[in-house]
Amino acid sequence: MTQFLPASKQIILHIALIVFFAMTGHVASARADAALPATKLQQIGDDQYLAGAFRLDRYLAGFEQPLISKGAFTLSPGDGLVWQNREPFPDVTVMTDRGITRIGDDGSRETIANGAQFNQFITLISAVLSGNWDALSQHFIVTERSAETDDATDGDSASTWQIELTPIAGRPIADQIAHITASGRDFVDHVRIDKPTDDHDEITLSNQTAASLPLPDDIAALLAGQVQ
Amino acid sequence: MNVRAVIWVLCLIVMGVLTFWQINAQNAKIDGDILSLIGREHHDGDADQQDRSSDITIVRDLLRRDANQVIIMMSHPDRDQLEKASRTLAQHFRDMDGTTSVSLPGFETGDASSLYGFYLDHAGGLLSQKDRDMLINGDGQRIYKRAVQSLYAPSSMISAQSLASDPFSLLPGFLAELGDKIGQSGLVHKDDRHGTPIIITLAPHVRTSGFEADWVNHANDLIATATASDDALLIAKTGQIFFAVSEASHAKSDVQRIAVIATLGVIAMVVWVFMSPLPILAALLTVGSGLLAGITALVLIFDSIHAIALVFGASLIGISIDYALHYLVLPGSDRTDDTRLSHVRPGLRLGLLTTVCGFSALAFTPTILLAQISVYSIAGLIAAYVTVVTILPCLPARNIRDRAAIRVIYQKIDTVLLAVRPSNGLRHVMLALATVALIGAAFYLPANDDIAALGHGDDALIADARMIGETLGMGGNPQFIRVDGDDIQDRLETGEAIRDAVRPLIADGRIGSLFGLSDVIPSISRQNANRALITSQLIAPFGPQLQAVIPVDISSTQDTKTPLEPAPEILAAIPGLSGLQRGETDIIRLNAVKDVDAVRDAISHIGQARLINPRETITGQFARYRVWASIALGVSLLVAGLVAVLRYGFPDGLHVVAAPLIAILCAVSGAFVLGVTINFFAIMALFLVFAIGADYAIFTSESHQHGTQDATRFAVFLSLISSVLAFGLLATSSVPVVNAIGTIISIGLISAWVLSYWMCAGHNGNDHHTTHPQSRGHQ
Repeated sequence: MTQFLPASKQIILHIALIVFFAMTGHVASARADAALPATKLQQIGDDQYLAGAFRLDRYLAGFEQPLISKGAFTLSPGDGLVWQNREPFPDVTVMTDRGITRIGDDGSRETIANGAQFNQFITLISAVLSGNWDALSQHFIVTERSAETDDATDGDSASTWQIELTPIAGRPIADQIAHITASGRDFVDHVRIDKPTDDHDEITLSNQTAASLPLPDDIAALLAGQVQ
Repeated sequence: MNVRAVIWVLCLIVMGVLTFWQINAQNAKIDGDILSLIGREHHDGDADQQDRSSDITIVRDLLRRDANQVIIMMSHPDRDQLEKASRTLAQHFRDMDGTTSVSLPGFETGDASSLYGFYLDHAGGLLSQKDRDMLINGDGQRIYKRAVQSLYAPSSMISAQSLASDPFSLLPGFLAELGDKIGQSGLVHKDDRHGTPIIITLAPHVRTSGFEADWVNHANDLIATATASDDALLIAKTGQIFFAVSEASHAKSDVQRIAVIATLGVIAMVVWVFMSPLPILAALLTVGSGLLAGITALVLIFDSIHAIALVFGASLIGISIDYALHYLVLPGSDRTDDTRLSHVRPGLRLGLLTTVCGFSALAFTPTILLAQISVYSIAGLIAAYVTVVTILPCLPARNIRDRAAIRVIYQKIDTVLLAVRPSNGLRHVMLALATVALIGAAFYLPANDDIAALGHGDDALIADARMIGETLGMGGNPQFIRVDGDDIQDRLETGEAIRDAVRPLIADGRIGSLFGLSDVIPSISRQNANRALITSQLIAPFGPQLQAVIPVDISSTQDTKTPLEPAPEILAAIPGLSGLQRGETDIIRLNAVKDVDAVRDAISHIGQARLINPRETITGQFARYRVWASIALGVSLLVAGLVAVLRYGFPDGLHVVAAPLIAILCAVSGAFVLGVTINFFAIMALFLVFAIGADYAIFTSESHQHGTQDATRFAVFLSLISSVLAFGLLATSSVPVVNAIGTIISIGLISAWVLSYWMCAGHNGNDHHTTHPQSRGHQ
């Protein structure tokens, strides 16, 4: 049984990791160093944090309509991620290198997962934000796709990019993820996560801004006190 | 060479060919694994007991399974460096010959998706204890809210398939708790260092074919290379194979040193006394034929021969060389071979008879090990005797040199010892007192059968094992709870009751964790109870609300579900489970037990459950070996006394057996004074004291019948020197069990030699040493 034991934790960890790095612009950031077609991608430094809005469309096979949630997120490379649902109901998920905690609208806290595995969580995020591709290359084959050269909205074709991540065969993450596609301009704007079960998530990020630390007090408090 | 000698030589050749063929054809294998020794007793228990495995059998199987597992703990301040180093080292281990599988729980999930899929079909009856408690307390609202949150959470395990079977997302909690129950974290963070295990499964042949030292050496090289490449990387290792190789290495080193010194010493002694290599050849032929016959008997009778039986059996060298020396010291210049032989044959026969009686007593004990030692020794000694009476007379006689220093030394000691002549009354008193004292010692002398006291102990390995236990909660003494019951569901329910009873001990750290079959496959009654809870506390009140969010007919999710049962195919599908069940007994394994008594107390009210400590169980087994060997020794002394009385009459026969009896008492007393542990192996050493000591006494007594007192006493003296060289040097070993054997035999044989003078010397004044004119003429 030994090899199964951390399984549930690691599944959660991998899913969280994917969400984490897929939405932060690290992909584009890293590829920018690798001569990605000219982009205006903003890199997030250790002394910065990224904040914005999200919309998560969860498509489940056989379900006619996706499960849609909306809210705000805050990412600090050194501290973690706060994912605040506004719709269809308010709740908060805090992800750090110590684990994942869910906080209900009544203030109740539930630790979804914790443990030393999550130390790699923030380490990976920091690595990708700083353009250290090695950290991700252990898990994924990274492929640059030709981006659409004409953007109907503003005609700024050079600013659009798209990256595809395919789990390396045999890696545990391949059990959970079939394929990831991320695209954006200044930041990651859209992420599609295809799962082996024919389900997929689409995450749309908007109104993103990079600001200097310190974090807002409420966010800092959430990140500091997630694990009791 | 006469016909008898030729026939015997042919017999020895046939034995050699037969043994070589049997071993090479794998018809008889030599087993060095101590685990195969235990649990092989003949039982006459009732049928019910025979259906259920004994504690020692389960312990043996458990340890055998664990014996093929090695745990390497990697530790580094930097997690990424740790992963890189761990993956590299794991790959090196995978490439090693003798490695079956390598897993990295810290960085690899294994077949997690299939495990999830396996449980998903039965999700309706599976609840974590936390969720179960909430439902029992009527707090289904929280679980419902959590389920809804999971639908929209960024880090969610849900899928369309999982929602159809597990709409309230209960299974992730069950799986997470399962991981905690097993208590083996893949990656831990402690004292600013990250630690992770590499778990290696060895191929079975590594432990049984003598390949283990090679594997350990290779593994140590890999670890040393990895450590040298990164100063911050720490690596600890544990596993039975490391301890076994370490102990074997210590023992081998000691025994090799002792064997070289003893062999050279014996050769020098014989050459020095005879000034000829022929007596050496004669001694080698005698000893060699004994060893060959012993092994042949074993391979013909037993499918598997244990190494300990071979080692103890081989100690008959010390006995059989007596036979050769007893013949060789007789002057041969003006006597025919038959005349020489006639002088020693009665003594040899009687010595052989008493020794065979002694070792026969071992054969009647209910242990395979003692039976093997018995067969080996009896066959070997008979062969040695036959060699002495058939082949040695064919070799040219060589007389001893009277002016050899060893002879001179002997004469001085001989004179002193002969000066002491206890009266018959004193001899009777000595025999009576010794008998009483020996019986008292058997009952009251403290014994220590703890298997941990047998070995040398490797401090570095012990420290590594402790570190791995404290950091990862893995390795160590594999204690377990056995659960007996005719019905598997009864045993699963008992397992659940045990978990409930022990839960407080886990909470306060007195146990790291426990893990049994019922954790992986709950009993049907528990699954039904879970279903009832889910139906009444979740589906009924919250099903319609959840169904408004997800298009799943929640009310029917419990309808078609079959309970999860521990069918053989399911047990086989989940690695690690098969070892938790054996016939009508289930095993619940414990990790990091700090308070054994608390565990025992906690489960004392559960009738079908019992805490088993393998170390205690094996120690108890060796205690039983010791008792059986002690009884066999007592019987041997009685039989030897009877034989001696028949031969020498009363009371001289009693005096003859008094010599080895008092020698045994001296050895036991000396061992006690020197702090030598009395255990099974010590009793076996006393057996050798008895066998050789009886020979000394019998040879001395027989010499009175043939007027060869001086030659016989000198033969006994040479025999003593060779035995002390062979066994006495064992007392210098750093391995406790080897040291104990050497100490006991040394004290015992020296005592037996002195007592052969005092208890067996005649009263007619003809014992004083003489120099044979014949031998003098040969110098």
